[in-house]
Amino acid sequence: MRPRLRAVGMPSPGRAEPLLVVRDLRKMFPVAGRFVTVLDGLRFHAKEGELICILGRSGCGKSTLLKILAGFLAPSAGQVLLEGRPVDGPSPERCVVFQEDALFTWLTVGENIGFGLRVKGLDRTSRERAVERYLSLIGLTEFRDYLPQAISGGMKQRVSLARVLILEPRVLLMDEPFASLDAQTREEMQSLLLSLRRRLSQTILFVTHDVNEAATLADRILLMGKEPGWIRKDIAVTLPRPRAREDPAYIDLCSRLHRLVRD
Amino acid sequence: MTGDMRPRRGVASTLFPWLIPALALLAWVLAGRLELIPAYLFPPPGDVGQAALRYVFGSPGETPYAGRFLQDAGASLLRVGCGFFLAVAFGIPLGVLSGRLAPVQGLLGATVNGLRAVPGISWLPLAMVWFGIGMGTTVFLVALAAFFPVYLNAAAGARGVDPLLLQAGAMMGVRRFRGTFAILLPAAMPHIMTGLRLGLGLSWAYLVLGELTGVPDGLGAVIMDARMQGRIDIIVVGMILIAVMGRGSDLLLTSSLRLCFKSARRLS
Repeated sequence: MRPRLRAVGMPSPGRAEPLLVVRDLRKMFPVAGRFVTVLDGLRFHAKEGELICILGRSGCGKSTLLKILAGFLAPSAGQVLLEGRPVDGPSPERCVVFQEDALFTWLTVGENIGFGLRVKGLDRTSRERAVERYLSLIGLTEFRDYLPQAISGGMKQRVSLARVLILEPRVLLMDEPFASLDAQTREEMQSLLLSLRRRLSQTILFVTHDVNEAATLADRILLMGKEPGWIRKDIAVTLPRPRAREDPAYIDLCSRLHRLVRD
Repeated sequence: MTGDMRPRRGVASTLFPWLIPALALLAWVLAGRLELIPAYLFPPPGDVGQAALRYVFGSPGETPYAGRFLQDAGASLLRVGCGFFLAVAFGIPLGVLSGRLAPVQGLLGATVNGLRAVPGISWLPLAMVWFGIGMGTTVFLVALAAFFPVYLNAAAGARGVDPLLLQAGAMMGVRRFRGTFAILLPAAMPHIMTGLRLGLGLSWAYLVLGELTGVPDGLGAVIMDARMQGRIDIIVVGMILIAVMGRGSDLLLTSSLRLCFKSARRLS
């Protein structure tokens, strides 16, 4: 497995289109004999290497949006284009880290991380080399032969992260992945994610309802409005990294976001 | 001090499950010694033990039942094996399909539950008409009885698989066919295993039923034959051997599943 060394935010040469284009998305669900519109007129672009947080209160349809981007759900209208090609069903180029742990309980940590490469048909030696590399990236080298039931919630989410990063997805989709972790572990996971993205230049769409999390992670914050869900505001976050929670500019951004989310 | 306690507690907890069997054996010995139960109703353990030794290790023809064990056990194992194999061959695929696909569940559900309401024993006369006495009838009864727990547990297991696991597989490039073997079956393994073990247990019960109908060999045939001859010791020996073989086959089943499938080996 060759390490990826694309620089963050570097414009990809010769590509006019942004990496991901979401165009006038609408999603309706049948509920009790009538249709409820969950998303309507939702549109945004994502550039290569960006870390975008989709911030919104619960029930605004952000998980539905992520499921459409992942290809688990088809939109009722509108389009999702990845590198100009329409999204049609799940694929390793758009991988998800779920909020709940969705590891395979009958496989060890190492086997879980190598699962996707095995599906791809990669030979054992290259697979093991890649697994070793990603195990060390998430700091779980000694836990390779553990079963998921024997490791903590934070470790499980690291494994969930590694098993999709190893597939080098064009876009990594994260659905409130740290929401069920304790505050301490959540902060550790946030720094881990940032350091991984620095090394792998991974494009990330990160769904969260947590204002501080968005302010800590994002290059851009897409604020979602609800009923039906749409992108209310597109906020570029220019705070320097690493971001300190005591930094007045950071605190200022958080309180601004708080106000916006509440309205 | 706690260090001293630990090994002693270990021995006690190993011996503890044997307490009731040991007491029962003691009661059996005493009942014989004190002549509380006449030997022609329930012979003492010594006699049963001797009968067992002759039945298992004796040379054939020496006494009426001497040395017949291998032949009887072989015949019974073959019937259980064939019947259970049929139950598994139909039960697991149909169960998994009906657990995952609503049309299959709709097609099979009512029929299977209807058939399940017919007591297994009541199939015996019809089976004897269809298959005659012996192998055919016994295999049919075993297969029929074992099918239901295997099917129902496979269906419950397949239905209960977390959809998130299948989504996770799909995004990592797994297509339907591979997903069935790489995700669905391993995730349903705890239920499947329970169904197989229940089915195998029932197989032995229905084996005896099938063999009670006058077949010349098999462990069920031996105990029925011994009743005619008034050989209570052989009846008890037969019962004990059926229990031993049933338990042994359960161990063989679980250990071979563990050997073949990671998901069975790594059950929590």
